[in-house]
Amino acid sequence: MLSRKAIAGLIGAVLIAAVVAACGSSEEKGSSTTPKGEGLTESGGFKTPATESLTSGKKGGKLVVLQETEFEHLDPGISYYNLDYPVVFATQRPLYSYKPNEEAESTPDLAAGPPEISSDNKTVTVKLKEGIKFSPPVNREVTSEDVKYAFERGKNPNVANPYEEAYFAAVEGMPAAKGGPIKGIETPNKHTIVFHLTEPKGQIVADALVLPLSAPVPKEYAAKYDKNSPSNYASYEVATGPYMIKNNSEGKVLGVGYFPGKSLTLVRNPNWVASSDYRPAYLNEINYKIGGTVTVGEKEALQGTNIIDQERPPQTIVQEAAEHYKEQLQISPGAGDHYIAVNNKVGPFKNADLRRALWAALDREEMDKVRGGKLVTTVQTHFLYPGIGGFEQAGGLKGPAGIPYNENPQGNMALAEKYMKEGGYPTGKYSGETITVVGARGAPASEDAEIVNSTLQKLGFQTKLSLPESSIAYSKYCNVPKEEITVCPSVGWIADFDDPQTVLNVTFNGKFIPPVGNVNWSQANNPKTNEMMDKAESIQGKSARASAWAKIDEELVKEANAIPFDWDKQANVEGTQVLGVGQLWNSGEWDLSFTSLK
Amino acid sequence: MTISGIEPAPAGLADVEPLGPGEVVHALAPRQLFWRRFRKDKVAMVSGIIILVEIAIAFLAPVIVKVLGLPGPQVQNPNLTNAFGSPLGPSFSHPFGVDQLGRDVLTRTIYGARVSLTVGIVGTLVATLIGVTVGMLAGYYKGSVDTFFSRVIDVVLSIPPLLLALGIAASCSVKACAGGTIQPGVQTVIFLIALITWPYQARIVRGLVLSLREREFIEASHAFGASNSRIMFREILPNIAAPVIVYATLQIPLNILIEAALSFLGIGIRPPTISWGQMIASATPIFNTAWWYMVFPGVALLITVLAFNLLGDGLRDALNPRYAR
Repeated sequence: MLSRKAIAGLIGAVLIAAVVAACGSSEEKGSSTTPKGEGLTESGGFKTPATESLTSGKKGGKLVVLQETEFEHLDPGISYYNLDYPVVFATQRPLYSYKPNEEAESTPDLAAGPPEISSDNKTVTVKLKEGIKFSPPVNREVTSEDVKYAFERGKNPNVANPYEEAYFAAVEGMPAAKGGPIKGIETPNKHTIVFHLTEPKGQIVADALVLPLSAPVPKEYAAKYDKNSPSNYASYEVATGPYMIKNNSEGKVLGVGYFPGKSLTLVRNPNWVASSDYRPAYLNEINYKIGGTVTVGEKEALQGTNIIDQERPPQTIVQEAAEHYKEQLQISPGAGDHYIAVNNKVGPFKNADLRRALWAALDREEMDKVRGGKLVTTVQTHFLYPGIGGFEQAGGLKGPAGIPYNENPQGNMALAEKYMKEGGYPTGKYSGETITVVGARGAPASEDAEIVNSTLQKLGFQTKLSLPESSIAYSKYCNVPKEEITVCPSVGWIADFDDPQTVLNVTFNGKFIPPVGNVNWSQANNPKTNEMMDKAESIQGKSARASAWAKIDEELVKEANAIPFDWDKQANVEGTQVLGVGQLWNSGEWDLSFTSLK
Repeated sequence: MTISGIEPAPAGLADVEPLGPGEVVHALAPRQLFWRRFRKDKVAMVSGIIILVEIAIAFLAPVIVKVLGLPGPQVQNPNLTNAFGSPLGPSFSHPFGVDQLGRDVLTRTIYGARVSLTVGIVGTLVATLIGVTVGMLAGYYKGSVDTFFSRVIDVVLSIPPLLLALGIAASCSVKACAGGTIQPGVQTVIFLIALITWPYQARIVRGLVLSLREREFIEASHAFGASNSRIMFREILPNIAAPVIVYATLQIPLNILIEAALSFLGIGIRPPTISWGQMIASATPIFNTAWWYMVFPGVALLITVLAFNLLGDGLRDALNPRYAR
């Protein structure tokens, strides 16, 4: 038990802390800065990747990068995480990639020019640049065989690329491949690679070549690592980009330039030829510090000099940066979306009118406010988000016309009750069994969950709200259909690349409902939209695809398969001496090949 | 020098006047003795009053909130947050400020007392019931019964409580587990607290019973043919009541803190039910812009824990006058 003296001391400490905190608060109230950003691509007068200069950097210097979360995978054949991408795209050269200020038009990277898609949409041919070399210890020129091997190893169970099946399944022999040769990938010469498809899906295959899977991997060097389960090529990986992970003479990076959970060091790739690349690569060295807490890291970045933080800052830091460190804050639009998944398969939300009622009742502005307000969010009115093809065709900011429940972002209970009545509840209130609501712990997801829970209760639902730890909430409940969770209040999606299919297909097509790891969270399985999506997958041409997927988006809104509430804009902070350049196509994460020191 | 056969009066009693004819000394019952000592301890008295007031506040929460003209605990008002979504601070209409959802912090602090006190008191009662039963059986019967229960206690004490809590919370936080026995929410927390804390009570009781069972009055009961259950419940239990009560009183604040810690870690009380620990957890990410959201439930928690601790100290002193502070 605590002694009385100890308890008295404790009280004193708490009271002092309260007084100090109170003083700090009054100081902040003195500032009148408020976010001005409204609309979709506005950044409230703050820096944005869309307008940052790509050419005004100064060569040299060392940059410190803080990242509280560990990398998931740095192997280009596996990497599929926005925090991995800045390192992967600084060290690897896929066939195509996006410039930092682009998210729609890709630029040839390892490729010498745009992909050639045959008229029948069943063949994609890419020519490679000559003279590009792997970093030490491989040191030889990259050939089309290296790209071919990259695709082959992606199907190796020891590598298990997470998206190859989704975007390249039309390549002949791809579905059955297990790591060996793939019949549909041909290399007629050292600098040409051809993809033969079984279905007319050339456009999506060509667009997907911006993914890191298309970065070359030297077979004679990597094959021995790929035989291990799982592959440990990442511990020895070589680079083609301007930087490489610091390694020893055998190529080992683990324990040399990369200490998991602690640090990662990027140094210049001596075999990189600047004239072959659009990246300026200003910095001499980049030192990642991994671990710690986000709030502390973000503060360190704001108060530091040659330092950036790659994590999404919490709402309080965004406010502090906007009020006191305006020059060090970047706002990146088009950073994905968030919506409420309502179970279309079992429970009350099988009934579309009840889904519409929840949509009508929800105060989407309140949902967005707990995520940081208008500076970093925009009220979502449909599922395709800004920057993705089809967004404008689907209604742009206002969303599809003639959808009453989409018109009032603050919610309309009278309209909601009308839908409840149409859904078979004459009192306008639900009267069935208790429903399960599973959110994720921690701001802002838990606040979103509480708003949704409260809205459901206003509609008469008896709810059981749970807020387990984030990874449990998704991996054990929301992503597992057999758990039959009725509502997951905060699921989000970000496109793999600029194509509307990457936003809507796996998240709403009924053919993608696996027993685990399901991201069609609402378990939407509407035959009409399924068919529309299957057809749209084969459409060629960006404009035609945008129109087709916009119609699907409209249909999803009409069916209210999920309830959207937030188009994200991501904030990022940098130190006083950093000229940061964010990746518009990757949630605004700092681009290490374009960022420089003042 | 002393005169043979005559004992000197004890020091301090030498000048005590002997009783006059017809004078009677009224012996005080143990309860009266306890009360006489306890009421002299002003700190313990004040603590007791604070706890009674808190219990009254918890019980009458809806009435108090209505009388104060405050919004209900679940009433969200986005107009009470600024453009960045940060909550507004204390004002005349919201004396403790509001939280991220624009809910009144005073109202929620008042309602939070319900869960904190319920979990603290009920968790302690359950743990005490189990601990006293097990301790009494082990101490009274000794032998194989004692060995069995002592090993069970050792096993339970060897389980890391936080890992156990995390495991149970992960398994039972969304759906009930153990055939519906463990429901998510307050029940789970009470179950966890009882599971974690009963062995300590059991060990104390076992030690006391082992000592008491050898005393003459127990032997006399045996000689009179009293049954084991009568001896345990009528002879031993009253004699161990004082230390058990003291320990339980001191355990309540610890259990309130355990609940707060579990809720802080997100494995305790689940929203929309309100607890102080959960409020403090929600306030942590925004402490630098909304100090009030952490400070007020924190102070409420501090006062409650302090009051129970000081009350426990007072009870210990009053029930055991030989204890030197």
